[in-house]
Amino acid sequence: MDDVMKDRVEQLADFIMKWCLWQFHSRAWDRERQNEEILTKTMQLLCDEPVNLSTPSDRCYWVDAVYLANGFKKTCPWLGIMDKKDIKLLMQGLKGRIDYLTINGSLNQELTNPIY
Amino acid sequence: MPYHTFKCSECIPDRAMHAVIKGPGEDLTSCLPLGYLNTIPGTISERGCAFCGAKHVIGSPMKDVIHLSHGPVGCTYDTWHTKRYISDNDNFQLKYTAATDMKEKHVVFGAEKMLKQNIIDCFKAFPHIKRMSIYQTCASALIGDDINAVAKKVMDEMPDVDIFVCNAPGFGGPSQSGGHHKINIAWIDQKVGTFEPEIKSKYVINYVGDYNIQGDSEIMIDFFQRMGIQVLSSFTGNGSYDDLRGMHLAHLNVLECARSSEYICNELRKRYGIPRLDIDGFGFEPLSASLMKVAMFFGLEKEAQAIIDDETARWRPELNWYAKRLKGKKICLWPGGSKLWHWAHVIEEEMGVKVVSVYSKFGHQGDFEKGVARCSEGALAIDDPNELEGLEAMEMLQPDCVLTGVRPGEVSKKMRVPYLNIHAYDNGPYKGFEGWVRLARDLYNAIYSPIHQLSGLDISKDEIPTDKGFMTRQMISDVNIIGDGTTPIEERPYTGEWDIVTKLRGKKYPKLESQQQLGMV
Repeated sequence: MDDVMKDRVEQLADFIMKWCLWQFHSRAWDRERQNEEILTKTMQLLCDEPVNLSTPSDRCYWVDAVYLANGFKKTCPWLGIMDKKDIKLLMQGLKGRIDYLTINGSLNQELTNPIY
Repeated sequence: MPYHTFKCSECIPDRAMHAVIKGPGEDLTSCLPLGYLNTIPGTISERGCAFCGAKHVIGSPMKDVIHLSHGPVGCTYDTWHTKRYISDNDNFQLKYTAATDMKEKHVVFGAEKMLKQNIIDCFKAFPHIKRMSIYQTCASALIGDDINAVAKKVMDEMPDVDIFVCNAPGFGGPSQSGGHHKINIAWIDQKVGTFEPEIKSKYVINYVGDYNIQGDSEIMIDFFQRMGIQVLSSFTGNGSYDDLRGMHLAHLNVLECARSSEYICNELRKRYGIPRLDIDGFGFEPLSASLMKVAMFFGLEKEAQAIIDDETARWRPELNWYAKRLKGKKICLWPGGSKLWHWAHVIEEEMGVKVVSVYSKFGHQGDFEKGVARCSEGALAIDDPNELEGLEAMEMLQPDCVLTGVRPGEVSKKMRVPYLNIHAYDNGPYKGFEGWVRLARDLYNAIYSPIHQLSGLDISKDEIPTDKGFMTRQMISDVNIIGDGTTPIEERPYTGEWDIVTKLRGKKYPKLESQQQLGMV
């Protein structure tokens, strides 16, 4: 990942950290699911791809994804001139970064507690 | 690692990892205090116990319930409702609390018989109330009284009553948070799925993790009902016992305070497939986004937008009036749990007030993740601070106001730092658009109160000026406001009413009623 991409990933991660709560569910398996579902749907929205809304859970992930996609577009005008292939790469990088901040690199010792 | 050692705690090495300062470039992989651990010997913690967390925070806001502590009377006195968890049934649950008043003889010979008699006496004393929550305490837990068995016996003998038992003794966890956990799980295990409330709308939610402090829940529920959404249950502010037994029938769990009630949302997702949506009910932008998210789940975007537009137009100019005068002020945000992350960023974004410290007495690391992620560089995050650490932090950070509860607040006042009560509130509700303006007003009144000029004078030695009157708040706050016409004419101090909650009770909701007429189920 080049420096420009790294910087852009960081900007998006900062937005999530400041304005969202979904990434901080209490256990590692919740966070993996939240990050995967919401960021995939956000990528699909940004790339004008169809989004699966077939279950209540899908709709719930989708509302957070819509908020995120709108927030990204508003705060990161450079998104508007990126092509879809690059947006996918960017979102892949973002997923890695959010997974690191909230799961793999997290100092939260309760993430692996097997019960809620 | 950006850990901060307080001078007063140098003699307690175990405190070393309980405070951090967010430095430049720090993120959550390098900057996070420990949390939710047993209190360290030698530090005078200000925490509550698990019984307090279960009964005081979560159980007792349920409104149509007799709340009975099975233990010494002091447990009940100390958890009697000093918070303003109001309700629309004449505050029954605030006015009355009950205890079995265990004594030494009960500890020696057992207290089950006495408990049973107390339950019956309570129902006789309040014949219109048919629901009860019984809270185990340290004493009744240690002697092994089987409260569930006694409750079952009474329910068999009195078929019109229903009783919930919460086994969360004071020692059941490092802090009150242990009690939050236990009562969440007890409620879903014992009660959810045992009652079917009437479904009146196509759009049904549980509103979870708000305790109706001075009407917060009622303000939020009003928004949802204006959109046509049925709030099946409120966990637990102004909540009805039987509605909460029907939580399994909602389509969505809308969660505010994840610290106190994420457990029940997680279990409702696991057992009944109901999704969990975490929201922020404070601040214009986060609240607008939250209302829109709930609306989008049901396809009610237009309805949400109408509310957001109306409320913003009405209240934004008043928020702006205060924001101009609060800009640059520093606060310590020292609440219980969720406000440390609900407010950490938005109070700066929308009021211009810098959060220089966040703390929680019982928060978990998950709460500090949210708080540290949201607050600015330089903020000091402290887990389970003792009083001396609080004093040292105030000396170091020189806040203009401390937002906290009564006990640390009184300490702050002695330091001549104003405090705002954000546990029970000063003049809430603080949720909703108008509520956010009320918070700004209370913050403004606290910071600019003329008392701070006077309280610094020592009449035994200082010269007391007799040729000047008092400076009013606005004389102090407006020194830096330029009267050159740049202030829009519509900006003004708060113009709302003293009581903004009572009028919501009995309000008609045409969108909900139209669905009822159509026979929606």
